[in-house]
Amino acid sequence: MSRFPVLLQDEPKTPPAPGKKWQKVTVAENGQEVEKWIEVDAAATETWPARSEMRLLNHALPRVDGPTKVTGAAQYAHDMRAPGMVYARFLRCPKPAAKILSIDTADALKLPRVVAADSLNVERTSYLGQPIAVVAAETPDAAEDALRALRVEYGELGWVLTHERALADGAPQVFDKKPKEGESPSNRVAERKRGDRDASRAAVEAAPFWTEQIYSLPVQHHACLETHGLMVDFRGGTEAVVHASTQGTFTVHGDAAEALGLPGASVRANVQHMGGGFGSKFGLGVEGQWACELSKRLKRPVHLLLTRADEFLFAGNRSGAVQKLAGGMAADGTLLGLSAEVDKLGGVGSGSYPMQPYVYKVGQSYCAVSRVHTNTDSARAMRAPGHPQASFGIESLIDELAYAAGLDLLEVRKKNLEDTVYHRQLERAAREIGWFEHPHRSRPGSHQAERAVGIGFAVATWGGGGAPTCQVEIRIQRDGSVTTSCGTQDLGTGTRTYMAAIVAEVLGLPIAAVEARIGSSEYGSANPSGGSTTVASLAPAVLDATFQARARLFELLAPALQTQPESLRIGVDGLLDTGSGRRLDWKQACALLPAEGLRTNGQWKEAFQGRGVHGAQAAKVEVDTLTGHVRVLKMVAVQDCGIPLNRLALESQINGGMIQALSYALFEERILEPWLGAALSADFEGYKLAGTLEMPELVPLIDDADTRQVVIGMSEAAIVPGHSAIANAVHNACGVRVRDLPLTSDKVLMALEKLRTQS
Amino acid sequence: MTMESNDSAASPEPLSRRVFLRTVGAAGAAGAAGAGAFGAAVAASAAAQAPAAPKETAKLAGELEIELDVNGARRTCAVEPRTTLLSALRDRMDPALTGAKLVCDNGNCGACTVLLDGEPVYACMTLAVRARGRKIRTIEGIAKDGKLSELQQAFCEHDASMCGFCTPGFVMSITACLEQKPGASLDEIKRACAGNLCRCGTYPHIFEAALAVARGAQGGPR
Repeated sequence: MSRFPVLLQDEPKTPPAPGKKWQKVTVAENGQEVEKWIEVDAAATETWPARSEMRLLNHALPRVDGPTKVTGAAQYAHDMRAPGMVYARFLRCPKPAAKILSIDTADALKLPRVVAADSLNVERTSYLGQPIAVVAAETPDAAEDALRALRVEYGELGWVLTHERALADGAPQVFDKKPKEGESPSNRVAERKRGDRDASRAAVEAAPFWTEQIYSLPVQHHACLETHGLMVDFRGGTEAVVHASTQGTFTVHGDAAEALGLPGASVRANVQHMGGGFGSKFGLGVEGQWACELSKRLKRPVHLLLTRADEFLFAGNRSGAVQKLAGGMAADGTLLGLSAEVDKLGGVGSGSYPMQPYVYKVGQSYCAVSRVHTNTDSARAMRAPGHPQASFGIESLIDELAYAAGLDLLEVRKKNLEDTVYHRQLERAAREIGWFEHPHRSRPGSHQAERAVGIGFAVATWGGGGAPTCQVEIRIQRDGSVTTSCGTQDLGTGTRTYMAAIVAEVLGLPIAAVEARIGSSEYGSANPSGGSTTVASLAPAVLDATFQARARLFELLAPALQTQPESLRIGVDGLLDTGSGRRLDWKQACALLPAEGLRTNGQWKEAFQGRGVHGAQAAKVEVDTLTGHVRVLKMVAVQDCGIPLNRLALESQINGGMIQALSYALFEERILEPWLGAALSADFEGYKLAGTLEMPELVPLIDDADTRQVVIGMSEAAIVPGHSAIANAVHNACGVRVRDLPLTSDKVLMALEKLRTQS
Repeated sequence: MTMESNDSAASPEPLSRRVFLRTVGAAGAAGAAGAGAFGAAVAASAAAQAPAAPKETAKLAGELEIELDVNGARRTCAVEPRTTLLSALRDRMDPALTGAKLVCDNGNCGACTVLLDGEPVYACMTLAVRARGRKIRTIEGIAKDGKLSELQQAFCEHDASMCGFCTPGFVMSITACLEQKPGASLDEIKRACAGNLCRCGTYPHIFEAALAVARGAQGGPR
């Protein structure tokens, strides 16, 4: 369903092993989806219980680690302390690009409590805020003093910070690359093309209704509340513990061991809780490299967590986009042609974009994607990389064409979406938001209304499938205690809770009877959490481990009960021997286990998971036409996900997607001063996130009409459509089309003024 | 936490400077408005010029021992005049109190919210020395004898945390709100935590949790 992952190989020609078949799976690599073919079991075995029979799954489960979070007991990397620990800080280059001629650390090293000051040996910086030196001291204040005492001599280099300046004639080049013969150097690098440009252009221009517009989106920050970083607890012995704020326990572990010069087996990565990642926290990073380096040299624990300004300047972002879209529509609403030329703004990196026409069907379409470099830090994966950008382009364009043709905005979408799941989801969202009672469904409301109310729609897609990456262990002790463990990490999605719930569901136990242990490299391997691949990778392995634990339990108990394993059943009433009718409760049954209890390992099963989610959202806004202020009144999301493992946590994830999209629509924007080279939004004063007062009524709906009896990840999909729906709702309210997010009051007022002068 | 010094050069400063620094520390502790910034500037310049004997380092860095009333217990720690209450809790106490989070260090996000004599304050914007003689309550002091407060329990039931990093700040802001007005309305609850940010998007569930407690206080259904 999701058409955007990169396919690395074709289906293998060789026949699969006996009992196996070839299956395409999605693997997240640095948060980007990549497809691979693997061998899986051909025949399905026992699978998930029917939804109607579930006691725990498909219900609202309060997360099992809630109490530790609400009491402040949950320990994040930021909170780790150890005897002799020092605090490390980076010095950032204050210019977008510079030669680093010298760094004098002598004064810094003379300060009380300062224990280290090192140059990172960067000869030339290539982005604003690049770290160039590191210090460590016994208190955070002393580390700040050390930074101020560093003496750096900079040499001038040319630079560009904005799309416009990057493409200006004679612009300084971000990378010194020789251009191809006959070409002049450019910060624009062509990446991918699809479709026939001329044919698409002709189809657009031949259509009865057509338009060409530029839709742009700012650079968005992940703005994780816990900044990137880690505490490396190494005190000069033979072992170390690395407490990391990461989306991948195992993406940190090996590299940290190497950086510390210790065998992998002597280093433990610990990720019990982490304060948000959203795609930005994979791998050791420059912070991890230096924390390990300093710890190794000082033989002291090192706490290196980025400051908020560091986080804004060198911890990644969602790439901005400038999309030139031309589209043509028939009188009945059919999209006849689309031509898209897209520049991604990923700084010194690349950024993401899933190609147009996104999920829509278009007669003739063409899409060309380039990246335009600027002297800003590299974009990283961010929740549904590229999808919100593509969504804003195509959803805005469709609305503009629908109004031109005088068509209903809901019907136009259905007309151009082949997958009927979208029709069902859009209709439900429309009912819930009040579309069918809304007075203007095929033309915008009046800009003369003092408070104009409008509704907008948009849709999403994502893969969300899993891969054979997780090894899950289950242990049952003779006292009846049950643990399930895997080295995976919880980004706030509720991993521990569904792990415990799966085991408890099958064994007939209350959820509190199962302890889920995660976040340690001592446990079984796991994939990093990116691209909504965690649940479909982990949950199948937990289910398999549980089935195996149950089978082993029956094998071990049958002789003691003088029966056959096949006669045994287990459920909420305990263990039943169907032969004799004898019942034992859980504790009585476990007491019959051998002294060492029981231990099994589970693997991923292809049949327990699926891939491909949709999602439709609607937004209702109110525009104050005197001030240009936009207030979101209500948002509705309809989201499929296969089996809803935990309805409460799913609602939280869907709410989170809507809220992040609302924030992207109205407030969030990296602002750089293009001539002085300064960052104006490197704190929460200048970079605004939606807060409590901006919250509308939010309606997260799980699409229970999706009866696929498999687990699929959905968190990415929930963030894709919201901002597009809000921008469309603003247009629907008062006829103002803002093609450049965020929808700040000044832009809305300017557009209103234009409408007034025209009419 | 162990406080060691890397300074070994013994070059005692004139007595007058030490007396001066002590005076600055005392002035800061007494709560003179400008003393924090002034003390920090003096401390930084003194530190930059003066290597000192290990035992003198703390004083020359402008440090003084203070006693704070945290969750009903007397806690001592060494702080500089510029040390924030947040840093005192997180970095200067042993064992550290890390429930209040350092997120923006700028009074923008509320993750460090603690109660000073019942009023919510940003601990990152409050000098440690100004908190002397006042009752400090942190997230660690909200549950009593291992029993969650009604609000904490409601946070769990309504899934009002995802990554959980903002959660302690929200619990503190709303605890203060409900102590002052047990039957607070949704609008009052939203305003009480308008200075708290959440990135995962837990706001609606936070509102539900807080409203459940507020309705309970009015005798309504939870």
